[in-house]
Amino acid sequence: MILAYTFRWELVPESAGVLAHGLKVTLQLSALSFVLSLALGLVVALCRLAPSRPVRAAAYVYTQIFRALSLYVYVLFLYFGIAAVFGIDLGTFAAGVVALTLLNSAYMAEIYRAAIGSVEHGQREAALALGLGHTRTFSSVIGPQAVRVAVPGLVNQLVDIIKDSSIVAVIGVLDLMGTTIQLVNTKRAPFELYTVTALTYIALILLVSAAAALLERRLARHLASGGTGPGPLERMRSFRFRGEAPA
Amino acid sequence: MSPAHEGAELGIGEELVVAEGIHKTFNRGMRGREVQVLRGVDLRVTKGEVLVVIGPSGSGKSTLLRCLNFIAPPDQGSVTFLGRRLTGDVPRRRPAERIRYERELRYFRTHIGIVFQHFNLFPHMTAADNVALGPMRALGLSGHDARERSVEELTRVGMADKVNAYPSQLSGGQKQRVAIARALAMRPQLMLFDEATSALDPELIGGILDEMKRLAETGMTMIVVTHEMGFAREVGDRVVFMDEGRIVEEGAARELIENPKNERTQAFLSAILS
Repeated sequence: MILAYTFRWELVPESAGVLAHGLKVTLQLSALSFVLSLALGLVVALCRLAPSRPVRAAAYVYTQIFRALSLYVYVLFLYFGIAAVFGIDLGTFAAGVVALTLLNSAYMAEIYRAAIGSVEHGQREAALALGLGHTRTFSSVIGPQAVRVAVPGLVNQLVDIIKDSSIVAVIGVLDLMGTTIQLVNTKRAPFELYTVTALTYIALILLVSAAAALLERRLARHLASGGTGPGPLERMRSFRFRGEAPA
Repeated sequence: MSPAHEGAELGIGEELVVAEGIHKTFNRGMRGREVQVLRGVDLRVTKGEVLVVIGPSGSGKSTLLRCLNFIAPPDQGSVTFLGRRLTGDVPRRRPAERIRYERELRYFRTHIGIVFQHFNLFPHMTAADNVALGPMRALGLSGHDARERSVEELTRVGMADKVNAYPSQLSGGQKQRVAIARALAMRPQLMLFDEATSALDPELIGGILDEMKRLAETGMTMIVVTHEMGFAREVGDRVVFMDEGRIVEEGAARELIENPKNERTQAFLSAILS
C-alpha cells in the first residue's frame, strides 16, 4: 500500500511556541470554569435542599435544563444567539467560560447533593442535639463529610471541563484546539499537529487523574462510619439515581 | 449566674421535665404514607429519677425521646423542661419570635444530653474533638477549655488513652463511651439513652450498662429506652410500657416488671424474658 501522505514532523518544533500559548489559554479557561462551577454548583445544591419550595423548584429546573444541552449547542447559542438579540459581545473567552460554568455547575450541583445526602441522618441529629444551629451543623459536621465524598466526582468534572473546553474553538477561542486548527489550515500537516495536540490533552488528563487519586486516598482516611452502618463513601458508591441500573 | 447552672436549685423530687399530649406523625400530609407514631403521650420525670421506657419496636419509644429535645418536634403537645414550656410550632413568620424560639430550643438541647443506638459520632473528628465540639460551638467555651473538659470527660469513661483516636479506630463499646462523654461534656440536667446497648456485641453491653448505672448513682436524671430488663429492674426507679404510640402501663420498676397488670405488658415481658 502506498501512502499519499508525506510526513513533515519538522513542522512540529516550529509550531511549539504557538501551541504552548494555546495550551496556556486552555488551562486558564478550564481552571476559571472549574473554580466558578465549584462555587455556583454548591449554591445550586444548597438551593435544592432549601426549605423554601420555590427555591428548590428553581434549582431543580436549573440542573435539569443545563444538563440537557451539549456544550456545542450552548457555546453557539450564547455567543451568536444571545449576543445577536441583546447586542452584547461577551468576547469569545468569556462566552466559553460562561458556557462551561453553566453546564458543569449543574452537574456539580448533583454531585454535591448526592454527597450531602450520603451523610448519615444520625450525624445531623447528633449535631442538633448538641445545640448547634443549622449553619454550624452544616459547616462543622455535614459539610466536611460531604466534601470528602464529593471530591472524586468533582475532579472528574475537571477532566470533563478540560476535554470539553476544546469545543469553544468553534467560536474562535485560540485555545489548544483553536490554535491547532489554525496551524493545520496554514501548514497543511493535520496528522502531525493533531497528534501532538491529542498527546498534550492525554498528558494533561492523566496528570489530573493522578492528582485526584492521591487526594482521594488522603481524604478517605478516617472516613469510615462513626456509627454502625456503612460509611458515606460506601453509601455514595451504592447511590443510584432513580431508575438507574446498579453498576 | 450562667445559664448552665439555672436549674441547679431544683430539688430532688421536683419535676424536671413534663411532656403533655405528645402527638407525632411521620410523613405528615403524604397521603397513604402517614405513620402515626405517638398518639398522646404524657410523661413526668422528677429530678434525680431514672425512668425506663420499654415496649416493642415501633411503639414510639425513640421518637418520644426525640420529641423531648425537639430533634423530632412533636406535632401536638408541649414539653416543659426546667420550667420552660415549648411546643413544636415554630413561629416562622415573625423573625423576633423565631429568634426567641430558637433560643429556647438551644436551651433545651444544650441541657438535655442524648446517647444514640448507633453512636452517631462524627467520623471526621478525633474522640477529643467529638466531645469538644458541643462545648465549643454551642456553649461558647474557648478551644483550650473545651479540650480540657473533653479530656476530663473521656477519662471519666475510661477512654483517656483514646483521646486522639478516630471513631473508625474504636470498637463499638469504645464508640459508645465517647458518645456518652460527648453528651456529658455539655453538663446536661437530663440524659436520654436511646437503646444505647442494642447495637453492641453481647460482651460489650455490660460495660456500657455499668457506665449508665454509675451515672445514675451520681444523681443524674435519666430517661432510658432499653430492652435490658435487668438494668430496668436494678437501676430504674419507674418503668413505663409503651405500645402503638401510647403509654399503656406505668409503675415502680420492680413492681411493673415482676407483676404487670396490663395484658399487653404481660405478653411483652413474657416474650422478652423467656
